[in-house]
Parts: sequence; structure tokens; C-alpha cells
Amino acid sequence: MSRLLMIMLVALAVTARLDASAQVDSTNGCLACHTAQREGAVVGAHAEHGVRCIDCHGGNVRARTLPAAHQGRFVSGKDKVATYELCGSCHSDPNRMRQYGLRSGEPAEFKTSRHGQLLLVQHDPNAPTCTSCHSTHVIYPPEDARSNVYPTNIPGTCARCHADRQLMAKYKIPTTQFEQYRRSAHGIALYQGQNFASPTCVGCHGAHSALPPTVTEVASGCGRCHQLVRAAFAAGPHGAVASSARFPGCLGCHSNHGTERVTPDSIVVVCTKCHGADTRIRTMALQIQKTVVTADSDLVIAQRAVGQLALGGRRVSDYRFRYQSALSYYLEIAQVQHSLNLDELDDLGRRVHSISVELTSAAQASADIQGEHKLLLGPVWFLGLAAIALGWLMMRGLKEAGEDRER
Amino acid sequence: MGAWNAVREWAGRFWDDLKTSTDASLLGVARFFGLLYGPIDSSLPIDQAWRRALKFRLPAHVSWRHAIGGVTYLLFLLLIVTGVLLSFYYRPSAEEAYQSVQYIVSGVTFGWLIRDLHVWGANLIVITALVHMARVFFDAAYKPPRETNWLAGLLLLFVVFAFGATGYLLPWDQWAYWAVTEGLDVLARVPLVGGASVEVLRGDPVVSGATLSRFFAWHVIILPWVAMSLLMLHFSLVRKHGVAPPIDGPAKGAGVPFFPNHLLRSFMVAVAVLTVTLTAAILMPRPFGDPATPSQVPGTLLSTWIVADVSRALTYYLGPSGLSAFIVFGLALALLPLFDRNPERRLRRRPVVSTLGALFFLGFALAWLAGRQLRSMPPQSGPVALPPPSSAEAPAPPARAPAPAAQPAPPRPDSGSQKRKAP
Repeated sequence: MSRLLMIMLVALAVTARLDASAQVDSTNGCLACHTAQREGAVVGAHAEHGVRCIDCHGGNVRARTLPAAHQGRFVSGKDKVATYELCGSCHSDPNRMRQYGLRSGEPAEFKTSRHGQLLLVQHDPNAPTCTSCHSTHVIYPPEDARSNVYPTNIPGTCARCHADRQLMAKYKIPTTQFEQYRRSAHGIALYQGQNFASPTCVGCHGAHSALPPTVTEVASGCGRCHQLVRAAFAAGPHGAVASSARFPGCLGCHSNHGTERVTPDSIVVVCTKCHGADTRIRTMALQIQKTVVTADSDLVIAQRAVGQLALGGRRVSDYRFRYQSALSYYLEIAQVQHSLNLDELDDLGRRVHSISVELTSAAQASADIQGEHKLLLGPVWFLGLAAIALGWLMMRGLKEAGEDRER
Repeated sequence: MGAWNAVREWAGRFWDDLKTSTDASLLGVARFFGLLYGPIDSSLPIDQAWRRALKFRLPAHVSWRHAIGGVTYLLFLLLIVTGVLLSFYYRPSAEEAYQSVQYIVSGVTFGWLIRDLHVWGANLIVITALVHMARVFFDAAYKPPRETNWLAGLLLLFVVFAFGATGYLLPWDQWAYWAVTEGLDVLARVPLVGGASVEVLRGDPVVSGATLSRFFAWHVIILPWVAMSLLMLHFSLVRKHGVAPPIDGPAKGAGVPFFPNHLLRSFMVAVAVLTVTLTAAILMPRPFGDPATPSQVPGTLLSTWIVADVSRALTYYLGPSGLSAFIVFGLALALLPLFDRNPERRLRRRPVVSTLGALFFLGFALAWLAGRQLRSMPPQSGPVALPPPSSAEAPAPPARAPAPAAQPAPPRPDSGSQKRKAP
């Protein structure tokens, strides 16, 4: 009995094995031995578009023996420069890339980057190549959340090397960027807000052409997204100084990776970092700070008022619309303060205040109406207690009359 | 003291006059419409029934605690009246429901009071129904021949729960929407019937306008008929079997007249309950959440119904299995009387049942109080999750940052739109 079972099991195993090899033989014979790479043959962008092992590695897909399988133009893939050239052989060809909607300039861009210079010119073994970021066999397109270069994964991908103190020490590059980024306004917008318009590492440094921006490039780089702020900044006194590289532009008040917000109550402190105790500048900074702080608290008050109105069941679409106006003015303050135009700032601050007062009055009126409802408690309790007292008196009357006693 | 006696004397005279005149005027009105001494009366013995009702007597041991059932019925009537008034203005569609409730509260004269009376009536009826149930349970009034009525009462309690559950969705705000979504998710996990019944109730893959229409139909058409039928059965059986005799033996004596003695007691309890309902409605109006948004989970879920409070507390402290265990415990206890044929009714002689009953009712009350303390359970709590920090000592950070936690509820006025930033 056990012998029969054994024969059946062996037969089953052989059949299964034959079945598996029959499946891979017809398309990709390499996978009969390279089982660890099977996933790459069926999953990812390359598999999807019919790129097979031999298209990158060469060899003979139909061979039945090890030497025969590896004969011919066989590329191992361990050589980083060779990898770059191999990927580039397809990805720099616009005629091949067009059908997939891909650009073909990445290999050329890579040559101009710091990474490319290290790899291709200095032959630095630590320098990354294509597969360092895009992975090797299972390569997902950037739109796929499993991809290393999906927006929320990019900072982590860069940090694999750039957070490595030992590795970065050789290049005298700090390793705190990822830590700073994930706590920055950009990082919070990306990770918590899932706002893919928020820049990742490649948004400022470039992807394949990664390089740190120069001092004069900073304002232009930030201004690509913060366009109104850039215009206000350029119109103000700081703009002229920044264009001559005597002032680091945005980085003068905000940092690069941390992109710290200058909170409303810290404006004076930030200004005095450069301007010291200059009375004229300090007075101006105080005025800006006062406008921003007041607008900030006005906005909070307005927000609370709309919340109270909504909780009380009032129709708040109009009030929300007014709040949005206040919010727009407030955001305009955020832009205009970069131009140091005090009159315009003052005007915007007054507009926010006016809407705040309007909404607070509406909330107060609603609260007054709800307060009036409580006046009903008087008659309710009077009538209730009177009715209960009357009932009690009547019950006593019944008892005295003996009607309550058992008969 | 003299003044007090004068008031009492006056009230007594007033009552005598009122009784005489009310009896006379009621009979007069009935006679005017031909109900008495007319063509209808000749075929229906209304006059006879009226006189019998006035002469109806209850056993002598019937006391204040027997008035709770009547108060539950009174709250049911209050819910019908306020519900009908609300339905004049309420619109059961996903587009209009929220705005129509807003209009009821802010545009209709005393609409706010009608609405909050309905909300608080729905809460208090659960309490009075359970207190009534506890009274019957501890009095052992469910024992034969009254076990059918216990079952009818039990079904009525479920109808009350079904009323509350279907009415919970109707305001169509975020709290209503997501509490019902969660509730239906829980119901879907009930073996065998859960999935199918949720499909029927929901009418759509997610809670939507279709669900709102169905819940409205259940709330104002189906359940009222079911409740009325069960109430008729409940009252008929009370009249058929009479009030359960005292615990320590059969009823003695001729008893006390229902009118006015017990009706007066019921009236006083009813006035007290109505005063409490009105006070709660005036002082604690149900707040409005944001309009229901299926794509956005709210930061907090405010409970506005006692049963939701209880289930929230049980889930929070004991987990889903704790909630299930409590429901099974309650069901077992409710069905126990059907198998408890022992005629012994004294509490000390049935310690197990009494202890289990006390545990259930106390547990319900405690869970309710705990649920009120919780007030709101965020669907996803805890600090904002950030991707893991990286350091040279630690292994290389993963290429993919973890999925970020749900965003905390955005501020109400600008929810779903621009986020406020510090300049």
C-alpha cells in the first residue's frame, strides 16, 4: 500500500515538474533553473511588454544544458556601467520608447548628474546605476504604488544611500535630509495629504540629472510651484539681493529639506537673524508680525463661528463661502508679506478681520436664539409640576375618601 | 395652613366639577355624532364599553412601578405625533435630507422642539421599555400563562431598536452615515443571514440614497404597522390574563378602580417623563454633523442614540467579541422565561435568574454611562504616522514609505477644500 502511495507521489511530482518546465520552456527557458527570477518574468513593466531574460542577458533560451544556456552574448548584470549601457541601449532609443509613452533622454541626463559623473567618469563602485533605484527584475512603472519611484516611495529610495552615514561620509554629504523632509511641509503634504503635487527629492534636484541647485537657482526652483510668492519676493527688496547671489533666496528664512514654516509669531525673530537690532527693520517686522498674528487669530475665530453655526443646524453654505473669502485673503497675506508691502498687508488683514466679525455676529445671533429656547423651560416645569401636584392632591383626596382601599 | 387647605378644597371642587362636566360633555359629543343613542350605538355597544371601562378594576397590589409600561406607550405616541409632524417637512433623498432637517430646525416654527422631542423620545423609550421589561422580569410576571405576552414585549423591544436604527440614518449627516455603515458591516458578519439581510437593507454596495429610501420606508411604513399589531396583541393579552398576581400569593380583595386611581398614577408619571423629555430636548439639542460624504471618514463619530452608546462602549472596552457576547447573553436571558416553567416567583427562590437579570440590566446601564463618557470614538486614533526614521545604525529604510494614516478631520468650514497654512 505504502509502495503504491510512494509511486503515486513520485508520479505526481514528476508530472508537476514536467508541467512547470513545459510552461517555461515555450517562452522563457531560463526560469527552469533561475526560479528566484520567475516573478520578474510575469510581473512588472518589462514582463507586461514581452521583454524576456535573453533580451537583457543574452544566452540561449532553448538550451537544455548549463553551458549551452549561457553561451553567446551573456551579460551578468553585476557590472554597474554595463547595466547603465544595457538599459540605455533601449531607453535612449526614441523609436522604441515612443510606443510606451516614455522619454528617451534619461541615459543622457544621467551622464550630467552627480551620480553619472561618479559612475561613468570616476568609476566609483558606490555610485548608483539604473537598477539601484528602479530595482532589477521586477520593475514597476512610476504610476504603480509598488514602484520604488512612486511619489511616496521616492524619498525612501533616495534615503537608502543618502541616510547611510558611513557611505555619505566619503562624500561629505549630510544624512539628515530624509528625516527633515518627512517632517517638512512638503513631506506632510505628500505622506499625510497624499498630495502628489508636493515635491519629493526629484522635484528640486531632478531625477536622472540629480544635482544640488545653486544659490541663484533656489528661488527659481521654489517659484516653479510657489509662483505668486516668487513674484512678490522678486518685487520686494530681498528679490534684488537674491538675484545677485548675495542672499540665498528662499533659504534665507526657510531651510531646504525641512522647509520650515515661519510661524506668525516668529517673524521678528527671523528678520533679526540677519538684520540684527536695526530699529527701522525691527519696527517693520513687528508691524508685519502683528498683521499676520491678528489675521491668524481672526481666521480661527471665523472658523469656530462657522462650526458653531453648523452644529446648531443653521444653513452655513453662505457662511462657508465668506470663510473661504477670508481664507483667500489670509493666503494672500502669506504671499504679499514676501514683498514687504505694508499697506497691502494691512488692507488684507482688515478684510480678514471684517469677515471674522461678520461670522462671529451671525454665530452670536444663532446662540441667542438657542438661548431663547431655554425660556420654554419655565412654562414646561411650571405646568409639569402643577399637573403632578394636582394629581397628588387628587390621589390624597381619593385616599381620604376611601376609594383607594380594597373593597 | 389655612391657605393650603383652601387650595386643596378648591382643587377638589375643581376636580369634581371637571369630572362631572367632562363625563357629561364627552357623552354629549358622542351623542352628537351618533355614537351614543344613535344608529351606531344601536349596532355597537359603545356606551356599554365606555361604562365598563370606567368601572374596570385592577388588583390592589398594582402600584407606581406598573405605570412604566403605560409611559412607554405614551412615548411611542409622542414619537408617532412628532414623527408625523417631521414627515411634513422631511425629504428622504440623499440630495435633500440634510437640508430638510436644517430647515426643520431653523426655518419651521418650533421645528427644533419637534425634532429634538423625537430624538429624545427615541432615547427615553429604550430606557422605559427596558425598565418595564426589568419590572416584568423581577416580578416573574412572564411566567405562565403570560409567556406569550413576554414574547410580544420582547418583539416590541426589537421593533423599538429597529425604529432607532432606521431613524438614525435619516438626518443624513456624517455621524449618521458612518454609524449606519459600521452597523451594517457588523450585521453582515452575522452567519448565514447577515450578508443577505444587509443587501436587502442597504439596496446598494455602499450606504447611499437607495439605503436612505429603504430606511425611511422601514421607519415610517413597515415598522409602525408591525409595532401597532404587536401593541394590540400585547394589550389584548394584558386584558385577557390581567395583571400578574403579587409575588407572594394570589391577589386579594376587589382591587382598586383603574379610573381614576391607576390612571392618575400613570398621568403623574407620564407628566414627569414628558417634562424630562422636553427638558432634555430644550437643553441638549442633537447637533448637526457635516453632510454625509461617502468618500470621507469623519474624524469623530458622535453617538446620539442610547443603543449606539452601549454598543460603542462594549466594542471599545471589550472588543467586537464582547459586544457579541453581551447580545447573546441578553437574547438568552430574554428567551429564558419561555423555558422557566417553575411556578416559584419569589426573588430569593430563584437566585440564578435574578442575578443574571441584574447583571444584564446593570451592564446595560453601565455601558450606557461609559458610552456617554466616550462620546466619540475616532475611527482611526493615534498620532499622525510618518514614514519610519532612517539612520545609519538602523537597517536601510524601506524603499516604500508606509501608507500614511488617515488624515485627522479637517476643520469644518473648509473641509474638502483648501487647507489653511501659516503664511
